[in-house]
Amino acid sequence: MGFSVQAPGGRLDILKDINLSLNETETLAIVGASGSGKTTLLGLLAGLERPTTGELWLAGEHLNRLDENERARLRRRRVGFVFQSFHLLPSLTALENVMLALEIAGLDRPRERATRALDQVGLSHRMAHYPRQMSGGEQQRVAIARAFAGDPAVLFADEPTGNLDRNTGESVARLLFDINREHGTALILVTHDLNLARRCGRIEEIEDGSLVDNQNEAGRERFRLVDKG
Amino acid sequence: MSSGMNAFALSGRLLLRQGRSGALGLLAAGLIVATAALVAVSQFTDRVGRALEREAGEALAADLVVAGRERIDAEIIEQARSQGLDTSEVILMSTAVFVGDDSMLIDVKGVSEGYPLRGELLLADRLGGEEQPHVGIPERGQAWLEPRGLRYLEADTGDMTDLGTRELEISRSLVFEPDRGGSRFMLAPRMMVNLADLLDSELLGPGARARYRLLVAGSEGDVAAFQRWLEPRLDEAELGIITVRDAEDQTGLALTQARRFLGIAALTTVILAAVAILLSALRFASAQRDLVALLKSFGATGNQVMTALSLMLLWLVLVAVIIGGLAGLGAQAMIAQILADGPAGALPPPRLAPVLGGGLFTLLLAAGFALPPLINLRQVPPMRILNRSLDNRIGLSRLLWLLPIAGALAIPVFQLGHTRLALIVLGGSAVLALALALFGWLAMIFTRLLSRRATAAWRFGLAGLHRRRGAGIVQVTALGLGLMALLLLMIVRAELLEQWRGSLPPDTPDHFLVNIQPDQVDGVQEELIRVGARNLQVRPMANVNLVASSGELQRDDRMAGQINLSWIDELPPANEVIAGEFFAPDATGEVSLADMWAQRLGVSLGDELTFESGARRFTATVTSIREVDWNSFNVNFFVLLTPDAGELLPHQYIASFYLADGDGSVLRPLSRTWPNVSVIDVGAIIARIGEIIDRVSSAAQVVFFFTLLAGLVVLLAALEATRDERRHESALIRTLGADNPMVRRGLLIEYGIMAVIAALLATLGSAITGWLLARELFDFAYQPSLRLFVTGFAASVVLVVGSGWLGNRSVLLTPPVRILRTG
Repeated sequence: MGFSVQAPGGRLDILKDINLSLNETETLAIVGASGSGKTTLLGLLAGLERPTTGELWLAGEHLNRLDENERARLRRRRVGFVFQSFHLLPSLTALENVMLALEIAGLDRPRERATRALDQVGLSHRMAHYPRQMSGGEQQRVAIARAFAGDPAVLFADEPTGNLDRNTGESVARLLFDINREHGTALILVTHDLNLARRCGRIEEIEDGSLVDNQNEAGRERFRLVDKG
Repeated sequence: MSSGMNAFALSGRLLLRQGRSGALGLLAAGLIVATAALVAVSQFTDRVGRALEREAGEALAADLVVAGRERIDAEIIEQARSQGLDTSEVILMSTAVFVGDDSMLIDVKGVSEGYPLRGELLLADRLGGEEQPHVGIPERGQAWLEPRGLRYLEADTGDMTDLGTRELEISRSLVFEPDRGGSRFMLAPRMMVNLADLLDSELLGPGARARYRLLVAGSEGDVAAFQRWLEPRLDEAELGIITVRDAEDQTGLALTQARRFLGIAALTTVILAAVAILLSALRFASAQRDLVALLKSFGATGNQVMTALSLMLLWLVLVAVIIGGLAGLGAQAMIAQILADGPAGALPPPRLAPVLGGGLFTLLLAAGFALPPLINLRQVPPMRILNRSLDNRIGLSRLLWLLPIAGALAIPVFQLGHTRLALIVLGGSAVLALALALFGWLAMIFTRLLSRRATAAWRFGLAGLHRRRGAGIVQVTALGLGLMALLLLMIVRAELLEQWRGSLPPDTPDHFLVNIQPDQVDGVQEELIRVGARNLQVRPMANVNLVASSGELQRDDRMAGQINLSWIDELPPANEVIAGEFFAPDATGEVSLADMWAQRLGVSLGDELTFESGARRFTATVTSIREVDWNSFNVNFFVLLTPDAGELLPHQYIASFYLADGDGSVLRPLSRTWPNVSVIDVGAIIARIGEIIDRVSSAAQVVFFFTLLAGLVVLLAALEATRDERRHESALIRTLGADNPMVRRGLLIEYGIMAVIAALLATLGSAITGWLLARELFDFAYQPSLRLFVTGFAASVVLVVGSGWLGNRSVLLTPPVRILRTG
């Protein structure tokens, strides 16, 4: 698939000839330089945009054929998000932030599910706190609870440790992968952090809007991938 | 020099490039609304002021007026003439006149040769005809009637009317007479006739309530000499003197009140507009910080940036003065037309000076409220361009806050020109705004509690409301204030009058007959019963002087001297004895007093009072004090004597009654048979009072419309200030899977609740105000109608949700992928 926009100087291709598939429970890291198109790719994969060429399927749904509202409804059931800047609603408590996502998805017993999710990320003592009362690491753990609480099929994470110090980043990453394993979801994350990328089952590098073929020996060497056999 | 040029060019570019930004537009809107309201009111005030000035010198149609209750002695007239002064005699009285079958209460003015001694008359050949100055008085057999009277009677020049026993031809439309005083609000229209016709009309029988005037004019010295000669003789002749200064005080009292009222309305508008200006300037300034940092990193100095921003503000002020000035001129024309009783308002034409004054004011407003946030931009460090965290000073420094505060204090003084009143209004509106804000704040807390139990769209909507509660409170307060003012004027006022009328018993007298001579009583009474008068009361009335009291009298000018009293053998309706005991039917030599009169004069139970009329005297002991319901429209008297007074004091009769169909024309035969009897149509007077209130409040509505507009600008400015935040939140929840209908529902809930709070503030505020007015002024319990609440809520929902909708279109259009781009 590809993605282009109309710019004043003519058509601008942001993504070209992307061919990618991901199975359930698989983990994928997308790496690349700034402006290479990795965030656009994440947006496309999550159904926030539609590709301008080619076809895109998510959890069995043909995204090209869904309008914006239909894609939103697909996201609320099948997709979870973790962002670099956490993006919690400042006027809601930790519990309410998690509940809001569950309510949008129309799931039953949102309070119970949200409480369980926060308990799982180790924040049962912070449920009534507002984001401004929490540290960055805690806020990101609330965001992870929000992403997992609805049992999504795929979890998208955009630089999830980008705004955290090294130790906090490490603990958040561990939590992300632990929960991913327990819930059996697919995980796609965009990152600059090669250490984080290496914890994924697969790494795709993007350069000038195209995927770089890293499946040869040189590529494997470049990321010092551990062959899991 | 070059830096000046740069700043000049930069200011133009800023205006053009940023012109499309909402904040700048709202800044301009705030300035425009304030200018419009101010120009409208100051222009109108200026025109009224000049009209009063023009009329002041002529307000008496003379240099000095001698006034009395009987015809001025020939000796006095002779004296004036012998001192070289011009004189003219005037008699004024109220009576009913007929044209065809229509009748109305008219203020008749009989004038003698020479009138007016100062100023000039403006007449027209027919109703609505071209007005022309006129010298001379009506010829015998002719009458000049004011346009209002012509319209009411559906008459025009050439029609015949009758004045007592005389039949007169209406020959001119009387557009302007110099000594009319607060004419625009006088109850009855004027009819001017030749003095000889009025004297022949048989209307001026004994006891007729006519006012007699002698107009005198001449050189200052001659007038002063005549005044010196006259003054020692005034008391004995029961005369008074009116000078030009006295006239000025009375002239246009009603207009002065209307002016103040409009001024207060404009002040409310200006205060709200100032809030809008401050909000949008803060928003505009915070949006310019990157640009300023960039300009500074390119080498622009703080001063250059400052100059450019100040110039930009100046351009905005210019635009606001032009657009707001034009809107204000249009509005003042509407106000003048509403107040001036029809299109031929006798106000001088508008002039430029108040518009320029308005311009200066707009500049002051901009300097006080928009400049401080812009000045603050001067401090933006160029390092911000590299690292935003180095610049976190978005609020104003304490010193800069002094400017808007000083501005807020200067506005009312500048605008009302009446410091004490201004401070009262400012304090009053501050208390009201605080009360509304407090209520709004409590409502917000309540919604926060509700949100704990809410789900999805409700949770999102209520959370938004809570998150932006500061802006929300400003919004609902501003809008609630504007809406409340309009509801009070448009609905509560009408309902108050209607309910007050409804609170009167159905047979409440609506007509009075005065000046009935004793030998006419039986005939008049029979005729009244024949035409269907109900609740008829006929009472004797004597005009007497209080000459002695056994106690010590406090001479209250208004109450003492000549009074009208009556006698009766039983306590009349609408009276309640609060001290002593009302006299028995066969008692003699006793008097019962209204409590108000007794208090003013310091008379108490047991005192002996002596009244005198001509050579007759009557002495009576105070045996009871009454409380009188003056609103009952019954014939009531301060002083009631025992019936034996009737044989001693010369008197006439007064009748009050209710005329079922309210059609005064059935009284025509009565007026023809007994021309000395005057008919007073109270219903018509109440209708005229209602009309005056209608006019003043319609005029105020024009100004309060700007208040509502200013409230709307505040609403939009607060929306604009939180737009980025809303965009972000909307993008976030759409990323989480909310579809457009859900986001829309969330916004609708947020604005709907805000609208409900504003509507509650406005409707409850106006209902409570109406209830207080009814209780304190009219003494009945006001019940606000469903219409007040329906209108209030509908208007609030349309305004808040509508503008919220318009202001949030871009929020709904924000693509969710934006959330990834903001980090």
